[in-house]
Amino acid sequence: MRRARAALELLAPVLLVVLVALFGTIVSSSTQTYVVTTLVNVAIVVALYLFIGNSGVLSFGHISFVAVGAWTAGILSMPASEKPAIMPSLVGFLRDTTVGNVPSLALAAAVGAAYALLVGLPLMRLSGLAAGIATFGVLEITHNVLRYWEKIGPGLNTFSAVPETTGLLQACVGALIAIVVAFAYQWSRYGRMLRATREDPAAARAVGVSVYGQRLLAFTLSGAVAGLAGGLYVHLLPVNAESFYLDLTFITLAMLVIGGATSLWGAVVGAVAVSAVDSFLAEAENGVNVFGRTLDLPSGTRIVVVGTLMALVLILRPAGLTGGRELRVPRALRRSVLTKFSA
Amino acid sequence: MTTPALELDELEVRHGAVQAVRGISLTVDRGEIVGLIGPNGAGKSSTLHAVMGLVPPGGGDVRLHGNSVVGRSPEDVARSGIALVPEGRRIFAELTVDENLRLGSAGRRFGDLDSVYELFPVVRDFRKRHAGALSGGQQQQLAIARALIARPEVLLLDEPSLGLAPQMVDAVFEALAQIRDSGIAILLVEQRAQRTVALADRSHVLANGRLRLTLGPDAANDTETLVSAYLS
Amino acid sequence: MTVDWQTIADAFGLGGMYALMAVGIGLVFGVLRLVNFAYGQLVMAGAYSLAFAYERGWPVWVGILLCFAVVIVLSVAMDWVVFRPLRTQTPAVMLVATFAVAFLLQSIALLWFGSLGKIAASLSSLNQPWTVGGVDIRKISIVATVVAAGCLLALVLLLGRTNVGLHMRAAALDFRTARLLGVRANRVIGTAVLLSGLLAATVAVLMTVQTPLVTPDFALRDTILVLAGVVLGGMNRLISATLGGFAIGFASGFLGGALPTNQSQYLPSFLFAAVILVLLIRPGGLFTRFGQQAAERV
Repeated sequence: MRRARAALELLAPVLLVVLVALFGTIVSSSTQTYVVTTLVNVAIVVALYLFIGNSGVLSFGHISFVAVGAWTAGILSMPASEKPAIMPSLVGFLRDTTVGNVPSLALAAAVGAAYALLVGLPLMRLSGLAAGIATFGVLEITHNVLRYWEKIGPGLNTFSAVPETTGLLQACVGALIAIVVAFAYQWSRYGRMLRATREDPAAARAVGVSVYGQRLLAFTLSGAVAGLAGGLYVHLLPVNAESFYLDLTFITLAMLVIGGATSLWGAVVGAVAVSAVDSFLAEAENGVNVFGRTLDLPSGTRIVVVGTLMALVLILRPAGLTGGRELRVPRALRRSVLTKFSA
Repeated sequence: MTTPALELDELEVRHGAVQAVRGISLTVDRGEIVGLIGPNGAGKSSTLHAVMGLVPPGGGDVRLHGNSVVGRSPEDVARSGIALVPEGRRIFAELTVDENLRLGSAGRRFGDLDSVYELFPVVRDFRKRHAGALSGGQQQQLAIARALIARPEVLLLDEPSLGLAPQMVDAVFEALAQIRDSGIAILLVEQRAQRTVALADRSHVLANGRLRLTLGPDAANDTETLVSAYLS
Repeated sequence: MTVDWQTIADAFGLGGMYALMAVGIGLVFGVLRLVNFAYGQLVMAGAYSLAFAYERGWPVWVGILLCFAVVIVLSVAMDWVVFRPLRTQTPAVMLVATFAVAFLLQSIALLWFGSLGKIAASLSSLNQPWTVGGVDIRKISIVATVVAAGCLLALVLLLGRTNVGLHMRAAALDFRTARLLGVRANRVIGTAVLLSGLLAATVAVLMTVQTPLVTPDFALRDTILVLAGVVLGGMNRLISATLGGFAIGFASGFLGGALPTNQSQYLPSFLFAAVILVLLIRPGGLFTRFGQQAAERV
């Protein structure tokens, strides 16, 4: 029974992501870009979930890890011939090193994890409001430094000329890796310990769980996933420092909250649902044909709609669309099918 | 038959799955002290919180002079004439003694400073000081004074003797007797069973959220009854 | 580093404005334990009202009146629609919610007024200098300092001398006990929201003098800095939050004016590093006595 539940907990988000990717194969190439972006968003929101959902501690800082992932992958995979034009002040070893697509993504994850570990070492002692504000500070510092420090990146310039390798396949694989990592973590004893600290920190501490240590582990792991997502991003679009700041922080947090912050299923559903609405509206801001009529929305509509949705969910259904629970098969079905399945 | 000042009618309180109070009924009349004693976790504080509207009752009714106060906000209950001296005193340590008293009359227009000063001279002597600078006993006197200043009809006290030196306990209990004589109905929640039984017109023993026993003042020296009431 | 009197006066003006915003954020935090990330959008709405009036050539006082009306209506609406339903949630959830509201309001502004921005220049004459003791100083720097000092004084009197002020202080210290004494929760919260709206409108008027171009992200940057200042100072007390806001405003005004750009560009990083350090070492803030801790720790 336990195994059946675990299987469903993994299969449901995996199937949803695969369905989204398959949908991407049958649509026009301009719509496909939205589908690919959706899949990368899934990876970011799963990274957020891995830490926020399991620990119950707020983080405004995860987009920093996405940013350093993007910087790592972007700098290292840009052809050496292009670097001087876009990043004239780059330090020697970054200028001279060029790696392929997959190694750049692996390094993005590694740097994301390392940065999260570094940040988490002091910050994981904080909870509640203090954690929210301190992680916000991390976002501000990261954004500020990446914007101006031209020795380690393009500064105010945009990452053009990075090989655009993030297509449907790579984005889908990336999202699946994020889901599998989050799933493996939440079923591990570490994941269970961290969730225990979320429910009752005092009781968890009393039975010997280190709240600090468990949070740090989850923070680092989610930093790795966020770094990977950043790598996927830089291989998808020409990004710059502004791409990884308040807007992305807002929209990904909205996805997590709307879907339901305390379950993997909620994170994935939130990312897919909000991305779908967001993509449709973004398209509509450029004029879109709906049932033979042209819908032309003014720019800004997207965030109004997403912001309203998020506020409504927070007020009316704080646990999110999924109620913050993993997907469960209805009771009747469970009895007939799953008992056979696990027998 | 006259309506009592305060009447609890089959009052129930639930904290999630735990039922803290399982239907208790009691009345307190003007000029009467009713004691509510019992071990930790018996439901004493929960009862007071339900009366004040801090937690919604799971069932039953609370009536002030025959009118239900269930469903009102804590400030409305306070304004209708029920004052609580909360556990741990809860004075505002960073405000002056005077400001604490002014807050006491927040709910009702009139403040009765003179009789409060008469009852607790220390409150007048230290009125410009920060309340946090007072001793524990003085803080308790301030907390009671603050509750009285709005001239409530019913005074609820949650363990007023907690953490006080013996002679301070005497002073507090002496003051309670005087307050009773001024015509206020008092519901006194206490751990000091013997002193409470001796002071109160009648005392109810609460255990596991139910009233087990009612004792008159003459039972105060009957140690055996008290002990068995606690252990039942 | 070049320091002149104008830089110092500017720093005082900016410090004063940030102190007002800090009070606006601190008042609401005191009674609701809610950090209003959307505070800057109240200022933004006020600035758009001024621009709206300016475009139509309305007199200055009509513009200011409109600004106050819009900001107050908006802050009361925010209280009713967002703060009240969320009152029982944790501070972290409320922070996320106001973060969402900030984005929502910003994009509504984008939708209505476009990204190019509107001009609110009806008080631009205040950018002319006054000559004080042979030194030229822009009027707005002095006006901002004086207005801020006046508002703070009025607030001190309100909090210290009136009953509603006493109720607000008590509610900020221990809301539950205050209610048990008959302090009306809704009235106290309503007053705090109203006062913080008044302050936001005042800031909007002052800020548009210095920055007449009103865009959807008007005052966003400032709000982030003020929040940092409030945490640095200590948000559990209004006085320390105000000092923190003033200090941040003064520092960014002074350093921004005195340092060349290539040195001042990392200012936000140092500022937020200081915020994090304070949260870790003195969670109660710099301007509070030791032992008063705002943050939970693990």
